[in-house]
Formats: sequence, structure tokens, C-alpha cells
Amino acid sequence: MSSRRQAKRQSQAVGADVIVANPALRWRELGLLLLAFIVVSVGYVLSALGRQEELNTQVGLSLGLVLALFLAAHLSIRLLVPAADATLLPLTALLTGMGFVIISRLDHDLAVAQLRWAAFATLAFFLTLLFTRDIQRLQHYRYTFFLLGIGFLLMPLVPGLGRGEINGSQLWIRVGGLNFQPGEVAKVLLVIFVAGFLDEKRELLSIATRRLGPLRIPDIRHFVPLLLAWGVSLLVMLFERDLGSSLLFYAVFLVMIYVATNRVSYVIIGLAVFALGATLAAQAFPHVHDRVVTWLHPWDGIENGVTQLQQALFAFGSGGFAGTGLNLGRPDLIPQVQTDFVFAAVGEELGLLGTTGILIAYMLFAGSGFRIAAENNRPFLKLLAVGLTTAIAIQTIVILGGVTRVIPLTGITLPFFSYGGSSLIANFVIVAMLLRISEPRQRAGANALAAQDARRAREVQRAQVVGSPA
Amino acid sequence: MNAAIRKVTLVIMLLFLVIFVQLNYLQVVTADDLASNPYNRRDLLRDMASERGDIYTADGELVAISEETDDELEWIRKYPFAEMFAQISGYWSYQYFAEGLERSYNDELTGRTPELEFRDLSEILMDTRQLGTLRLTIDSKAQRAAINALGGLEGSVVAMDPQTGAILAMYSNPTYDPNLLAVHDRDTLDANYHRLIDDPQKPTVAHSYREIFAPGSTFKVITAASAIEMGYATPDSNYPVLTALDLPLTNLTLKNYGGSSCGGTLTESFKRSCNTSFGEIALDMGDDFAKALDNWGVDQAPPIDLLPGAATGTAPQVGNFSQQKPQFAYAGIGQGDVSVTPLYMCMVAATIANEGKMMTPHVVDQVLDSDGKVVERITPKVWREPISPDTAGQVKDMMIAVVNEGGTGTRAAIDGVVVAGKTGTAQVNGQDPGAWFVAFAPADNPTVAIAVHVEDGGNVGGNASGGVVAAPIARQVLEAIL
Repeated sequence: MSSRRQAKRQSQAVGADVIVANPALRWRELGLLLLAFIVVSVGYVLSALGRQEELNTQVGLSLGLVLALFLAAHLSIRLLVPAADATLLPLTALLTGMGFVIISRLDHDLAVAQLRWAAFATLAFFLTLLFTRDIQRLQHYRYTFFLLGIGFLLMPLVPGLGRGEINGSQLWIRVGGLNFQPGEVAKVLLVIFVAGFLDEKRELLSIATRRLGPLRIPDIRHFVPLLLAWGVSLLVMLFERDLGSSLLFYAVFLVMIYVATNRVSYVIIGLAVFALGATLAAQAFPHVHDRVVTWLHPWDGIENGVTQLQQALFAFGSGGFAGTGLNLGRPDLIPQVQTDFVFAAVGEELGLLGTTGILIAYMLFAGSGFRIAAENNRPFLKLLAVGLTTAIAIQTIVILGGVTRVIPLTGITLPFFSYGGSSLIANFVIVAMLLRISEPRQRAGANALAAQDARRAREVQRAQVVGSPA
Repeated sequence: MNAAIRKVTLVIMLLFLVIFVQLNYLQVVTADDLASNPYNRRDLLRDMASERGDIYTADGELVAISEETDDELEWIRKYPFAEMFAQISGYWSYQYFAEGLERSYNDELTGRTPELEFRDLSEILMDTRQLGTLRLTIDSKAQRAAINALGGLEGSVVAMDPQTGAILAMYSNPTYDPNLLAVHDRDTLDANYHRLIDDPQKPTVAHSYREIFAPGSTFKVITAASAIEMGYATPDSNYPVLTALDLPLTNLTLKNYGGSSCGGTLTESFKRSCNTSFGEIALDMGDDFAKALDNWGVDQAPPIDLLPGAATGTAPQVGNFSQQKPQFAYAGIGQGDVSVTPLYMCMVAATIANEGKMMTPHVVDQVLDSDGKVVERITPKVWREPISPDTAGQVKDMMIAVVNEGGTGTRAAIDGVVVAGKTGTAQVNGQDPGAWFVAFAPADNPTVAIAVHVEDGGNVGGNASGGVVAAPIARQVLEAIL
């Protein structure tokens, strides 16, 4: 039976669900959103006063635009997902807004660009909500998303399109005068694919038919597409020298496979493979080796010039508990501070109070995302929500762990916060999808779901029969 | 699946917690170590990377300015006249701190004085800073005249307004370009600094106020004034005509310049600079001479508004006369234990010009804010009052005779202006003599006092004398100022 037709039937059934609007949620969201706006405004005004003698119209204009974007996103939700979760948008607004405050403190031109990107991201947010009225349908196109995702990943390697090596990595393409990081889009596309694929195969993958030492694993052929996805993404990442994204993809796949199958053996095997791969990579690739050495011995060679990580650690120390105050520190001493190291600027100017606040916002975001996953009762959407939330959370942990020297540093942006258009757009799309998944539905399609479960059970039985001779 | 989601959530939250713990470690536990790490230049830059106020001369020439740069220090200090005002402005270096006005007026130049900081509430709230700018008493034309008159000879010229202590010109060779120490490139800066510091000539140490020298016969101004003030002599007191004075306690003698025989009245002895007469005055006065020198503040550092400050002079001490009679005699003619800065000798001439009041020397006239409003005006202060106006008047007459009545300082005479002065030729071990001239003019209403010191014989070697080498330089500078 073609999986395509299956999915079509499924979505028709789901399409009959009734969404229940919840006005109280939306007012709560608006209240939280205004709270986030007040925090951002205070930060922006203080920062502007540290820079110039008096407030000018440009400060008001910037804040007006920020508020307009916040409200545009809020109205999109009222219009398109009126019953969605009320915490994700305020958290997103707070993080993006504080990122804007820090970026505008670092570089005025970048701030203007970031505001423009935020407008595009809000548009992408709206369009995502508009075109995912039936988000379950995304499952149909999982292999399309797979191919698209791989295509996006490979783009920077295409001669003429790729921009070559920037800061040791090859992640950028240039289209129509705009620089773009296709890996950020690939992240979303591949998570959709993995969710769809795992939903289709999860029972099969849950059944262990082979033995690997003390562990029981399913038949190897069920892994092939997944291994292909892993292999290709890992290889591409190594060629593009983007360790951060590589680590992120791997972690997200691992988490999704674990949630789909509830089998710890995947996690153990996955971690073992990761340890092996990391050890080999550290020996085979000089740029990986350098990162590990810098991590273990951060202060070596400081007399030859202070490195990015050393400057970041100094920034955290100089910031201390309360920070220097916005615009009163020297985060400009950290090379590339506006992208990967933006959190060190927060540490310097807002201190532990500021970094803890931002950390809590990310924790709340991750918590909300996982709650949305847990509350949805359709496996594909559960997996999708887990994957998207994990992508944001792991990306945050990888870069924050990197700049605070918990783990070796891998260049990757801090979601919502760092300067960068592709990252902002991709993450806003993720938020839109999570909001869509968060919508509670009445079980109008209960029959269809029952039928689906029965079909699944048959498929599993068949797999067992096929698998047993091995 | 929800059980798995809960476990994943837990692990993710634990990972966030690990980062939180590490943040506490970085921002609280080891924060001080990180902040004070010598490679962490944030504290340093907070002090260094700021704009500084302008320094400009009385006639509006910019001596020191701040220019914006693209590097981490944001501002670079520039000294448009390079060597010309180096010993007054000093330098500002992010690595080697500062000297001169850049150090003594650091708080004003960076806007860190209460007058500049707490002007009104809105400025405090907005953290905008008013920078202090310095208007000097130095006149660029006088300064240029001093440089030209000295003509590259090693030595000093100091000119001041005797009534206020305001310094009009202060220059000495060797000197240096403060821009060398204001550069931002670390390697260049280190190289420049060590080249200046290791230079045996010590070009950063201004001879005009940071080195002391035997003042020779110019010191007879103090000896004569002290003797008159304390009643040991009058201008008409007579001293025997001698070629040499026997010194007590030893078999040494104190000879006159060139071995000539010299003496007569105090005025005559002063005009011809008789060593024998002034040696005898010092011996006559004994410990009172040391007391007089103490009143004059010879062994004090002149309180000029620069850092490092002026060098401390040396002089015989009260109570030592009985054991050190020869040294007292030598001190009477500005040799032996007596060593002072050229700045101090200028103040001595100014004291005679200012009726016995020695004014506190200063190079800053006003501190202004960024809007040009005067924040602080330096008011003239009397530092010491070693002699009465009467005594000062009598010494002035003797000094007029030196220049205008066939004395040793005739080369300082200016047509139409009465110059009062005193020459000095100081013997220095292992060197050609130091040529001195101190003066003030116009004698009836003095507006300028000057001290000129040319070291190591200037360009005439062993033949150098104050009257031949230093007096013409003083005349040139006085002409330019008057």
C-alpha cells in the first residue's frame, strides 16, 4: 500500500477536526507580549542613552517597528490559530527583542538589517500559519522535504552559488545579492522528514529482531533512509566544516528516534557512534582537533594574542553578577560577537542576572515546546513538535555551552538572539509550526484514528513475520 | 511516547542547568580573576579608551587633541606641535599612563571632577560626560622664541609673569615627541618607550624643571637679598678687593672668575660678580644664611601644576655651619651644596621683580567645559615671601646695574626697556661651565621674569660664561615677549 494514499486518508479525517478558540489565552498572550515589549524598550532606551546624548526620533521609530512586529505576529495568531499556546510568542518576542537590543548596541547598521530580517521572519511566521492549516498534511511530503533538505544542505558546495569559506566554515550562499545560510532551512525540512519517517516506521523500529552485544536492534533495512539522512548530513557538515550544525542534527535525530521508539538502545548506540565519530574527527580534521585543544587548555597561547573564546570568558568575568550596564562594557573586543558570541555580550553588560534571565526564557520555551508535543495526540505532530523544540533547545545548549566552555566551541547561532536573517526566519517558522501543533482539537476524527491504529498493527505483524527468520 | 518526551525534557533542562552552573562559576566564583587577568584589557580600556579634552595655549594654539580612531581604544591623543610643548603637556599613553598636564589634570581632561560630572541631573542620568579643556598660560610666540633663541643648545629657558606666577614659556633641550608614546600599536609603542627611556640623554625628563644644576653666580641674587634682608649688608657695604678668599677649616681658597681681583661695595661686587665678596657674606651670615635659604625654599620643589613635579633643590642646612664653613662659602656663590632647577631661578628673578613675593608657578590658566564655560580659574597665589619689598627694590637696582651700567650682563640690554639681570657661570665637574642668566623687565613695572641656562659650555666650550652665552638668549626671548 502506498504510504502516500494512507496519509491522504488520514489527513482527510483530521481535516474534519473542530478547533476551539480560546479568547482568554489570546488576552494572556497579549499581556505577556506587552511585558516583553516593556523589557525590550527599557533595554533599548538605556542602551541608546549610553550611546548618544539624547533620545531622537530614530529610537522611537525602532521601538515602534518592534512593537508593530510583535502585534503583527499576535494578530496572525488571533486570525489563524486562535486556540494556540499563549507563551511561545511572548518568549520568542522577548528573546528576539533582547537580541535586537544587544545587536543595536554593537552595530547600528546590523541592527537596522536585523529589524528588516525580523520583518521577513514575521512574514514567514504568518505564511507558515496560513499554509499549515492542516499541518498533518506535511507528512505526505516527507520524502520531498528530505530531498529539499539535502539539497539545501549541499547548496553552499555548489560552485558559483556557495560563498566559499567564511570563518573556517562553508555555509553561505549568495542569491540575488543576499547572503543566506541554507543549513537553517534544511534544519526545519529534515526535522519534518524525520518526524514523518519515524511516524511511518516507529512500530517497526521499536521491534528488536537483531542482537548487537547485549542490545537488541531492529532489522537493519528499516534504518536505511535514516542512516542515509544521518550520513549525508554528517558528511556535508564535515565538508562544510560546520561542527555546530552537525552536532545539532545528530542530537535532534537521536532524540526523535528515542521518543518514537521509546528504546534506550538507540540512545546508547547513538552516543557510542557519536563518541567514536567525535574521536575520529578530532584526530582526522585539524579544525576539529583545534577546537578540542582550545576547550581543554583555554589559556594556552594567550601571549600571542587573545582569542575569541578567551575574550568571551573575560567578558563573562568582567560582567560579573550585575554586568557593566548596557553600552558600558567592551563586547566589541570579542571577534564576531554579534553572531555566535552574542551571549558573551549579554554576560558582560547584563551580568549573571541577564544571562540567567535569558537562560530561563530558553528553558521556558523548551518546556512549552515539549508540553505541546505531549499534549498532542497524533504521533507525527508529537514527533514534529519534539524535533522542532529539540532543534531550538539543542542549538541553544550547543552555542551557550560553547561560549561558556562547557563543551568545545562550535560555531552556530543563538536562536532568535544572534544576528542573522536565515536563522531568524527558520526559527520563526518553527515557532509558527509549534503554535499550529499546540491547537487543541476535538476528536471529530476518532474513527479515522482507530482505523489508522488497526492498520499500524497489521503492518507491525507483517514486519514481525518478515523479520523472524533472521 | 509521552514518557519519552518527559525524559527528554528532563535531560534538556539538566543541560540548561549545567550551563547555569557554569555561568555562576564564570560570573561569580572566578569573576574577579577573569576581570583582573592581565590579558583582559577591559578595566584598562575603560579608563583609557575615552576622549580627552583639548589643551591649548593662551593664544589659542592646540597643544593636545583627541582624534577618533577605528581601533579598540576609540580615541588617539595627538600633539600637533610635537616637541614644542612636550614638557608641558607631557604625554598620554594607554600603556605607560601619562606625564605632565596629561597626568596632573587627568581628572579634568576626562571629565571626572565633581564640577564637570554633577552639573545637572539630566546629564547624570544620561551618563553624558563633560570634558575639561585646559587653557594654558603659555604663549606660543614666547615658547617659539625660547626654542629659537636656545637654537638647539642643551639647556633651558623659563619665562613667567612675576606678578602671577603664570609661566609664559618653558622649554629645554633635549626634548621628545609625545606622539611617539600616544601611538596605539603595542609593538611600536613599546619600542618608542624603551628608546626614550634608555636614551642616556633622558629626553622625557625636562631640564627646565625636573633636573637640578649649580646656579652659579645667579644665586648671588639670593645671597645679596638675604644679607640685606637680615641686616648683614647694605648695597654700600664694602668688601675687600681680593683675587681669592681663604676658606676656613681647609687650605682651599675661593677664587674670582678668571683669577681677577674683585671687590668694593656690595653693588660693585654684584655688578662684577665677585666671588670673594659673596663667599665672605655667606661666612658672615653663617647659619643665618642657611635659614635665609630655607625662607627662599631653595631645598623645596617648586609647586608647579605638573606631574611628575619639579625637582627638589639642595642647600646647606641650619646648624651645619661650624663643620661646613667652606660649603657655606661656596653656596654663597651658587656652587657646592646648592643645586636648583632653572624654573626655580626664574622664580627668584620674579621674586625681586614682584617686591619680594614668590608666586606659585603654574602653566594652566583656566579649566573650561566642553561648551567653553569656565569651570575653574587659577588664581595667583603667593608661595613664599622671603624678603621685604624694600630689600627687593635694593636688589633690583643692583640687577639693573649688571645689565645697564657696565656689569657682566650688558648683552641682555634692550633699547628702550630697562632690563634687570644677573649672570652666572657654574663650574660643573667633568663638563664645560653652565652659562646662566636670570632677568626681569621692564624694571619699573616688571611683566616678565626669565631664567636661561645653557649646559656644558653651549657652543663655546670652556670659554662659556653667563654674560656671553646666556644673556643674549634671554634678551631675544624678552624682546619677543615685551
